[in-house]
Amino acid sequence: MPIILTTQAYCKMLLHAAKYPHCAVNGLLVAEKVKDNKKDHSAPVICVDCVPLFHGTLALAPMLEVALTLIDTWCKENRYFIAGYYQANERTKDFRPNQVAEKVAARIAENFGETAIVMVDNSRLTMSCFEPIVLIYDHHENKWKSRDVNHDCFEDWVEAQKITSALLEGRSYEHLIDFDNHLDDLRNDWTNPVINKSVLDLC
Amino acid sequence: MASVSELYDVGWEEMRDKLRKWREDNCRNSEQIVDVGEELISDHGSKLGDDVWIIYEQVMIAALDCSRDDLAITCLQELKKQFPDSHRVKRLSGMRLEALERYDEANKYYEAILQDDPTNTAARKRKIAILKAQGKTTEAVRELNEYLEQFVGDQEAWHELSELYINEHDYGKAAFCLEELMMTNPHNHLYCEQYAEVKYTQGGLENLELSRKYFAQALRLNNRNMRALFGLYMVSAIPRMSD
Repeated sequence: MPIILTTQAYCKMLLHAAKYPHCAVNGLLVAEKVKDNKKDHSAPVICVDCVPLFHGTLALAPMLEVALTLIDTWCKENRYFIAGYYQANERTKDFRPNQVAEKVAARIAENFGETAIVMVDNSRLTMSCFEPIVLIYDHHENKWKSRDVNHDCFEDWVEAQKITSALLEGRSYEHLIDFDNHLDDLRNDWTNPVINKSVLDLC
Repeated sequence: MASVSELYDVGWEEMRDKLRKWREDNCRNSEQIVDVGEELISDHGSKLGDDVWIIYEQVMIAALDCSRDDLAITCLQELKKQFPDSHRVKRLSGMRLEALERYDEANKYYEAILQDDPTNTAARKRKIAILKAQGKTTEAVRELNEYLEQFVGDQEAWHELSELYINEHDYGKAAFCLEELMMTNPHNHLYCEQYAEVKYTQGGLENLELSRKYFAQALRLNNRNMRALFGLYMVSAIPRMSD
């Protein structure tokens, strides 16, 4: 059951990476809960949104646990569940999942067995991004293996590419709020309603 | 595209003051610095007096961050004209080479500076930054440790070392670096809070107790530190910690 990314999820991931070009960033991917009796086990899981978590130092536990708890509660209220984890490393040419990524993904996998790790390829991050710049890793036989990423990994790649490009050029990432920003000032809303609206307006 | 002064309705003095504030706070908002700085230099350069040189330096570094090599070269050339033999300007030339990933050439610049002046801390730190950029974390850690043996009071270096250790998951050594910082800055709630986070991550009863103490201390120093508040809650909520 591979995961598929919507425009909103892909967009916010890249905006997060673009907002902090000199830091590592990470976040969670959330998908909509489907009723058990309606669940088609071969259907792909659609990640409808992402929650940007931290930038800078990713390897410390307490705030990560706070974030996971709060986001879990928010998910339950909105009929979502945490389906994946994304990370963009600090160095441009580094796109492999590290220990932090594997640990968080393992934590998520306790509740959702098909958790995926999405890594952003920083070296290909440009304003236009004509091709998808993410790598998706699935857990097979105790190892994380990357899968071929093509336009099928997206709900609508053409739309995703256009909207992401437009928002990057418009510097919308200046308004993106991650969990770190929320901890700095609780009024900052990590669900990013403003960015979500921008994405919707461009659809 | 509208200029910064038009968009935000500010005069050149406010732009200059904003740049000074960002300099003092060591902010890395490079895109904003480039926008404001470029306009300030080109439209109001003559009014800045001696401030113009430090603004050239600030804008040049921000331009490197934004891949604006054209702007970086302009600033660098002005600085070279004004300060032809300066080590500080040489270091900026080295940084430009780093931005272009020409690390070997950059290293040559820094080694030349160090030959001339072995106590030049800026050049040594740039060499360590190059190791970090190349992913040679072990060497970076080793060089930084050697540097700190000589320059024990360099807080920026202790903090950088603590971050390197955290990324390597060597929490014990990261805690040591933060302890050094807390000793010299007992009123800094951020160091207390980060130390508590490292202790929490290390785990184990003793470390969790220390973690709780330092989250509490951070809150005493600044009762609006949300991370300390959340941290105190998290560590107290662990069974056995509330005994």
